[in-house]
Amino acid sequence: MSSSSLYRRIVRRETHSSRAVIAITLAVILIVVLAWIGTESVLAAIGQQPLLVAPADAAGAVLDAAGAAVGVLTAIGAVVALIGLVLIIVSLAPGRRGRRAGGIGRTAAVVDDRVIARSLARTASYAGDVDPSQVSVSVGKRKALIEVTRTSGRNTDVRSIDEAVRDELDAYDFSPALKHTVRLSKKGTVGA
Amino acid sequence: MNNTNRALNRLLVFVIGLVLLAGGAAVAVGALWPDVRDTVSGAASDASGPVSDALSGDQVWILWVVAAASLVLILLLVWFAFRQGHGQTGELLTVDEGSSRNEPTGGRLVIDAKVAEQVLEEALADTAGIVSIDVTAFRVKGENVLRITANARKGASPVEIRRSIDQAVSRWDALLGTETPVVVQINGGLRTQMASATRLD
Repeated sequence: MSSSSLYRRIVRRETHSSRAVIAITLAVILIVVLAWIGTESVLAAIGQQPLLVAPADAAGAVLDAAGAAVGVLTAIGAVVALIGLVLIIVSLAPGRRGRRAGGIGRTAAVVDDRVIARSLARTASYAGDVDPSQVSVSVGKRKALIEVTRTSGRNTDVRSIDEAVRDELDAYDFSPALKHTVRLSKKGTVGA
Repeated sequence: MNNTNRALNRLLVFVIGLVLLAGGAAVAVGALWPDVRDTVSGAASDASGPVSDALSGDQVWILWVVAAASLVLILLLVWFAFRQGHGQTGELLTVDEGSSRNEPTGGRLVIDAKVAEQVLEEALADTAGIVSIDVTAFRVKGENVLRITANARKGASPVEIRRSIDQAVSRWDALLGTETPVVVQINGGLRTQMASATRLD
């Protein structure tokens, strides 16, 4: 059955950005600029008043700008080049969307990293017997960091938290897989 | 899951980026380099007379060419912007009339994606870890694919949600009599922020 290659394609597309927002934004900016240039050209060709600037004046201004101050030209050039560099990086970067793929069986699955983070937080708070508000989890590409704020005057069992989180992560079949770190914050909360 | 051409999106961003980088770098480096600057500004001031003559009435065809080129580019870009994000379909399955064993002989059968949506929503309504689900059909590479988006309750285990959904899907397969590809998406968005946390279980 071809469904596993179909699933791989879909999962890849669901976990990575399509770059549609930036592409459409750039397209719209270009459309506006081109529409303006086109309108000005037609107005000049039929001898009407320009909307903003006539093409002849605009071309003249650009040619005059070649003789402008060095500092200004360099600054403008550098800013434009920087924007270009950012766009090139955006166009080449993978663009992960904070989701990861589950194993493929009858169905394919894509899981939001936030769901994983909250699930790990709940596991950690049960295992360590701390209030859920004292656990914060951040999930990166391959690492999950679990930060537990201890309750003043009580021992927090880091080892059992660590084991419970490991058990949960072992039950996952997500890729990229996660490695976890449990960190106990030095300050404690009072009366939780 | 739509059929947006992602390579084209990236190509557009890349080309615009390259043009800006090259243009900006040329201006910045040219301005810093005295020889280049003098040559370019000399040539520019020589050219400004003829150029402004040409554009202000001598050579009207240039203006028309510019206008036509702008129009063509605008049409291309509008086509580009509007071809994003299609692929959703209302039909999940069609079985055409035919003579083989698995095909109906008395007509054409169409099953709407709505049927799958209602059956699966009903089946998953009582699942503890799920706030709500949303079912849509997409056409990907000539196949109709069902996407089940589940909004997970705060703290619910994604593995258990997947298991419940897979069970519901296998019951749905039995009901439908055939298997269509299914993609499960487990989200934790805004809707789950406002729902209460998962029950003790």
